[in-house]
Amino acid sequence: MRVRAFALRNIKELLRDPLSYIFCLGFPIIMLIVMTIVNGSIPETVVPEGVPIPEGTSMAPTVFQIHKLTPAITVFGLSFLSLFCCMRVSSDRSSAFLMRLYASPMKGTDYIVGYLLPFALIAFSQIIITYTAGDIIALAAGKNTFNVLYMLLSLPLLIPSILLFISLGIIFGVLFNDKAAPGVCSTMITAAALLGGIWMDVDQMGGVWLAICNKLPFYHSVKAARLALAGDFGGMLLPLAICSGFALVLFVLSVFTFVRKTKSDQR
Amino acid sequence: MTKTMIKTTDLTKRFGDKTAVDHLNMEVYEGEIFGLLGVNGAGKTTTIRMLTGLSAITEGDAVVMGHSVRNALQEIKKITNISPQETAVAGNLTVRENLDFIAKIYGLSQEETRKNRESVFRSLSLDEVQNQKAKTLSGGWQRRLSIAMALITDPKVIFLDEPTLGLDVLARRELWKIISSLKGKVTIILTTHYLDEVEALCDRIAIMAKGHMKALGTAAELKQSTGKEKLEDAFVEIVGGDGV
Repeated sequence: MRVRAFALRNIKELLRDPLSYIFCLGFPIIMLIVMTIVNGSIPETVVPEGVPIPEGTSMAPTVFQIHKLTPAITVFGLSFLSLFCCMRVSSDRSSAFLMRLYASPMKGTDYIVGYLLPFALIAFSQIIITYTAGDIIALAAGKNTFNVLYMLLSLPLLIPSILLFISLGIIFGVLFNDKAAPGVCSTMITAAALLGGIWMDVDQMGGVWLAICNKLPFYHSVKAARLALAGDFGGMLLPLAICSGFALVLFVLSVFTFVRKTKSDQR
Repeated sequence: MTKTMIKTTDLTKRFGDKTAVDHLNMEVYEGEIFGLLGVNGAGKTTTIRMLTGLSAITEGDAVVMGHSVRNALQEIKKITNISPQETAVAGNLTVRENLDFIAKIYGLSQEETRKNRESVFRSLSLDEVQNQKAKTLSGGWQRRLSIAMALITDPKVIFLDEPTLGLDVLARRELWKIISSLKGKVTIILTTHYLDEVEALCDRIAIMAKGHMKALGTAAELKQSTGKEKLEDAFVEIVGGDGV
């Protein structure tokens, strides 16, 4: 009952903040449209294997092609959810609101689950809306629409990514105050976009950049999402496993950080 | 016979070398408004924080309705509530939703929540703003809501930490009326540094300075013991150079 009440409160706080609609729903859809237009402007050149790519052209399909872009934007959207989670936690901590709750019968797990559940629900809604927008754009652009079965099957497979970004939000929200937390989280969003291969094909880039991307969770999260939506469930196992590992570690870290900070607040 | 609701025994809080509360011994009786009076840094809020489990006790103990803060904090949390110094409300929730939220985390049933909510609405005149978001309320109304959130759970003991801090004179007087109306119904521990507030509201007053309890009694007793006519003069006499 306590978890439900706290989760409901967090959902209401999120849904009544107009910025959450702009960033969590509006921004991913706008990025889908803009990047599809950008993709349409890139000259498509079919390059035979082993032939160098001519200057000013690109190999098709680019990362902006709707079937690659939609799952990547889905993960990008989750990073914005991370920002809102971080802002919620840091704002609660900065006000006396959490102090009131600390004096109530609420327990440590009530807080974590109470923050996690509403953001997970919003995440699923965000994914479905992004998928639907991607499908409509594909249809409008005369491309093949998404396979509905793959779309449905990919939903549970995105749980590790959801957990990953919400955990990051909780960690930043606990460690930083409400002034610093949004800035720090925005840096993480930029890093997720650059190191996740959302805006560029890091596999083609290779080298040190790919090596760095491989060491972080974002690239694996995006890769797993792309392969899941493409129906390559065998191929996605490795990136999914790596993403799940990161998600689990970060979730445990978020619980540890929250509990530790709560205790230090009550010293 | 007067029932003791809270009893502290050598209650002490240290932050490193600094002692915020030093061997505090006091008893608070059922239904009274007990004032903790002192200048900033006297140890009032730290005392409340220890009694509510928000700060760990360094030494000694406190017993709230037979439950030790050290050993049975969860039991104490169920029967007490707090209105913190800063207004602690959920800004995007309406007045009604804020109250229902607190009722639920304290485990009240739907029926208990409805009954208590109606009672709190009546006593604090919150009906007219019940569907308004908390963040759109004025400071005085937010503080009123904060107290209502402490009352909705029907606590046996309520801690009001500087309830009128930062409010204008009219809002203060309105809150005084509300707090006075609670006398006898619930035991209230109130911290403040306003002398007129303790004189108007409190049955007994503990004067604190530098973590020590300097005096305890009714306003009349404190004035009598110092031979002063005004509580302000009595307070200065008692606290002396220890005030800051």
